[in-house]
Amino acid sequence: MIRACGGIAGFLGALIILSLLIMAVLAPWIAPFDPLRVSIPDQLLEPDARFLFGTDQSGRDVLSRVIWASRSSLSVAGFAVMIGLCLGVSLGLAAGFHRGTWFEQATMRLLDAVAAIPVLIWAIALVGIFGIREARIGPFMIGNEVKLMLLLGLLYVPTLARVTYTTALSESQANYVAARRLQGVGSVRIMLSDVLPNCLSPVIVQATLMLALGIIIEASVSFVGLGVQPPTASWGNMLADARNFLLSGEWWLSVFPGAAISLTVIGFNLLGDGLRDRLDPRHNITAVTA
Amino acid sequence: MLSLMVRRAGFSLFSLLVVSLILFVLTRSIPESPARIVLGDDVTDAQIAAFDAQYGLDRPIIVQYLAWLERLALHGDLGQSFTTRLHMNVEVAATLPVTLELVTIAFIVAFLVSLTLGTLSAVFRDGPIDYAARLLAVLGVSIPGFWLALVLVLAFAVERDWFPPGGFVPLSEGLEAHLMSIALPVFCLSVFYMAVLTRMTRSALLDVLGQDYMRTARASGLSRLRVLRYALRNALVPVVTIAGVSFGHMFGLALIIERVFNIGGMSRALLTAIQQRDYALVQAVVMVFTIIFVVANLVADLVNAWLNPKLATS
Repeated sequence: MIRACGGIAGFLGALIILSLLIMAVLAPWIAPFDPLRVSIPDQLLEPDARFLFGTDQSGRDVLSRVIWASRSSLSVAGFAVMIGLCLGVSLGLAAGFHRGTWFEQATMRLLDAVAAIPVLIWAIALVGIFGIREARIGPFMIGNEVKLMLLLGLLYVPTLARVTYTTALSESQANYVAARRLQGVGSVRIMLSDVLPNCLSPVIVQATLMLALGIIIEASVSFVGLGVQPPTASWGNMLADARNFLLSGEWWLSVFPGAAISLTVIGFNLLGDGLRDRLDPRHNITAVTA
Repeated sequence: MLSLMVRRAGFSLFSLLVVSLILFVLTRSIPESPARIVLGDDVTDAQIAAFDAQYGLDRPIIVQYLAWLERLALHGDLGQSFTTRLHMNVEVAATLPVTLELVTIAFIVAFLVSLTLGTLSAVFRDGPIDYAARLLAVLGVSIPGFWLALVLVLAFAVERDWFPPGGFVPLSEGLEAHLMSIALPVFCLSVFYMAVLTRMTRSALLDVLGQDYMRTARASGLSRLRVLRYALRNALVPVVTIAGVSFGHMFGLALIIERVFNIGGMSRALLTAIQQRDYALVQAVVMVFTIIFVVANLVADLVNAWLNPKLATS
């Protein structure tokens, strides 16, 4: 088990992530209070035995809000990476497999061109442009969280496609592909059942590190008021509220949500580094920035 | 070398064209018409038509894009705001220098510290310095800069008054006050990139030091320092690439950090524009950041071609 995560550090990361996932799923049973319960007499109480993390300006329990907020943070980051994976891996795989065709050239040139997008700035600006109100796409009403997920997912596509493409390119030249061709197996089948599994290692590493990044981006966008909208708790919008109480010394409002973000991101980063050591030892570092 | 520069610059231009087209189409595809945003909800159809005609919004989108691109490319004209009627170049010129200063200083700090730390870490591999550097690097890439900013304000501006809790003191009001006002923002801005670049330097250097030609260099009696100098020159290539990307990305984090410290840089321009739904200004600000991002990557490519001429010929 420890070896599968690439060592002690990776295993620790996996443990952190697993506990956070359990916490998010079990939030209604674990959280001591309703995260939306407003109680004016309990305003801005320091952490004590009843409110372990203290209370906020509306008397809501900070611990319960931190627990519930893991749902929005993890789901935004998780779905964004899934969208990025679906589109990015298909494009990268198809382009790498059809080496030397106009399709490969056009796709990769375009994706490289789009890689010139600074992700965080675009996420803030685009959510801003579309507005934070619910939007209608066809028959669906989508909230701001979903908008952020879709946007972030699309912004992840170029990187994930590039990673898949690089391995798909060399895998497609391998003898086993030629052998499968001679057996009369169709291209799509070779691509999906033979080439794809061999391309996944670097993609998994990249995706794990992008989950870490997604948590930070969701928190940043929510911090400037454009992500998850109150009263729904997210670690980012809790910090946005906390900013108003910084100078008056209510430290618990800023410390706990931020510590939750850091712990989650540390978890994903440790796991990502561990998986890289285990799955993709040739590349000894993957830099993911935003 | 020249052909490489031309090719890279050409691709950067292509990339800017594609990205600016996407940005333009996205900003024009918002659900409500700009006339309604500016003139209010009880606007008549005739007024909307007049507004659209005045700003050329009634033309096909591709014509609008080409007109916008022509003004930007030939005159450096970012356009005019619909709501304030202000010229965007004025707005950007007023706010960009502050952000640019923060980012540039933070970038230099991050680059120098990470180069030193990464080198020490690789040279003394598995020693105490290496472990400390690796631990700090994992923490650095995981702790969000804006939360670090909140915590540092609590610790050093509220509990103790070592630093001002926010605000920006221009250089004209004294060097010391200026440096004190930017010290915390610059530190919070640089930590993440310091960590990323330290990891990159360490791993690239270990990679190069393990190569056969390094063994040959050592075997032929070169001093350790000299060998390290040769190794660094080769190891720098991936570090410079990531440094170029980081410089562009730092503006994104700077937006958030400026908000924590109440610094009136580009973040105020962008967030005010978003609040007033002034999407022409949003588009201008994003375009400026994107141009900076692309240019930073181009510069990194050229530095790499100079560091390793082999890259230029292949």
